[in-house]
Amino acid sequence: MSDKISLSLRVNGASHALAVAPERTLLEVLREELRYTGTKRGCDQGSCGACMVLVDGEPVFSCLSLAVTLRDREITTIESVEAGNELHPIQRALVQHGAVQCGFCIPGVVLAAKALLDRNPHPTVDDIRHALGSNTCRCSGYARIVQAIASLTGERP
Amino acid sequence: MRYAEPETVEEGVSLLSSTEHSRCIAGGATLVAMMNAGHIAPAMLVSLHRMRELFAITESADGLWLGAMTPHRVVAAETRLRGSMGVVRSAAGQLAHPSIRNMGTIGGSVCLADPSTEMPVALVAASARVEIAGSGGRRIVPIEDVLVDRFKTSLGRGELVTRILIPRGIEGAVGHHLRFSRVSGDYPTVSISLTLSMQGDRCVHASVVVGSCGPVPLHVAAADQRLLHTPLGEEDVAAAGQLLASAAAPIDDVRGSAEYRRMLIPRLLGRALSQARELAHV
Ligand SMILES: Cc1cc2nc3c(=O)[nH]c(=O)nc-3n(C[C@H](O)[C@H](O)[C@H](O)COP(=O)(O)OP(=O)(O)OC[C@H]3O[C@@H](n4cnc5c(N)ncnc54)[C@H](O)[C@@H]3O)c2cc1C
Repeated sequence: MSDKISLSLRVNGASHALAVAPERTLLEVLREELRYTGTKRGCDQGSCGACMVLVDGEPVFSCLSLAVTLRDREITTIESVEAGNELHPIQRALVQHGAVQCGFCIPGVVLAAKALLDRNPHPTVDDIRHALGSNTCRCSGYARIVQAIASLTGERP
Repeated sequence: MRYAEPETVEEGVSLLSSTEHSRCIAGGATLVAMMNAGHIAPAMLVSLHRMRELFAITESADGLWLGAMTPHRVVAAETRLRGSMGVVRSAAGQLAHPSIRNMGTIGGSVCLADPSTEMPVALVAASARVEIAGSGGRRIVPIEDVLVDRFKTSLGRGELVTRILIPRGIEGAVGHHLRFSRVSGDYPTVSISLTLSMQGDRCVHASVVVGSCGPVPLHVAAADQRLLHTPLGEEDVAAAGQLLASAAAPIDDVRGSAEYRRMLIPRLLGRALSQARELAHV
């Protein structure tokens, strides 16, 4: 293991002073050092989207991001999406539409949808499908996930 | 592994040339994926994140210079990439998914030189030029001279790509990119980048480049020639497509057999040309 580098990471609005080896991914640091275990480890190759977080509001794969490269950036994980024990409207819609099954992909799906809706509150169904293109789900068949998000925008899939 | 974040290109170059098995890290999309899979274990990573000049986009008389660290998302939204330069914008907007477009950079795509990706294809169609910095200073070379083989560039030890010029191209021409993949957003099975100019219903300029069909983007002068001065009729497109298909050297993989890829080329070419003509309203 390499020498550790001291750095401060901003996660969900809080700064964390850390010492991490340069090869450690953001995913590993979030889960193992900071215990933000809502971010899931899937393929480690950027193919499944389970590890998705937002960096400066844009979705990125935490499995492909080295933590040391993310100083001064604003990192958002699934833990910050719920406000005061209230599910976020996206989470509520997913539950109401029966889109949540095993749930492993859901943190990434919620963050991808949040990044989309924050930027564009009225996306088309096509926009929704594109925005969720990086998120693999092996239970739902996607239809209900897309329906749930579309229900928040007044679109009909 | 060691890690450094130099602020200037010159410092970066000297670190890269003085350390064995050192690598640049740009967006990290492919580099970290390869590290995670255990395919590479660099002794040193030189991050490009603090080199401000690599993020600059500047307009010149020749065209638009895109800093190597420009993410695909920014290229896809760059409205100054219009006319034939639009081929690069079109490719960046279709490449993979939002999260890869946020992470991956244009410089990373050039240096990765992955024959199954599409940004190099669009850059060849746009006749892009690449600025490379090394210990001997900087040089500017055509993109074709950078991409030499599968995952192989002509960059020497200690060299890095600083920026890429997208030349203005021919007045009145349009650029377009078309990718085909069975699963939307996957690496393309075949992709086509082209620039096109029509006068009335005659083609007065065509430059067609095919991706995922050989070690480097496939550009066949005879195929461009075959389209020139024609109305891009069915026969013309089929003949040009045949020239490209027979020059192609695709591989068999999970996305398609070599034979399937060859068969796709003329089909996609026809579709790409008619979409480009629609863009140009001719
Ligand atoms: C899941 C996934 C899907 C993808 N799908 C597509 C797709 O559909 N179409 C497509 O075209 N591409 C696709 N890509 C590839 C993507 O475009 C590249 O990963 C990306 O552009 C590489 O850029 P980067 O900045 O992340 O480079 P990095 O991963 O940081 O680096 C890649 C290589 O280039 C070197 N390098 C980077 N920048 C420089 C520089 N300025 N000078 C010298 N060397 C440098 C690095 O040392 C490394 O060897 C996909 C990638 C992933 C992970």
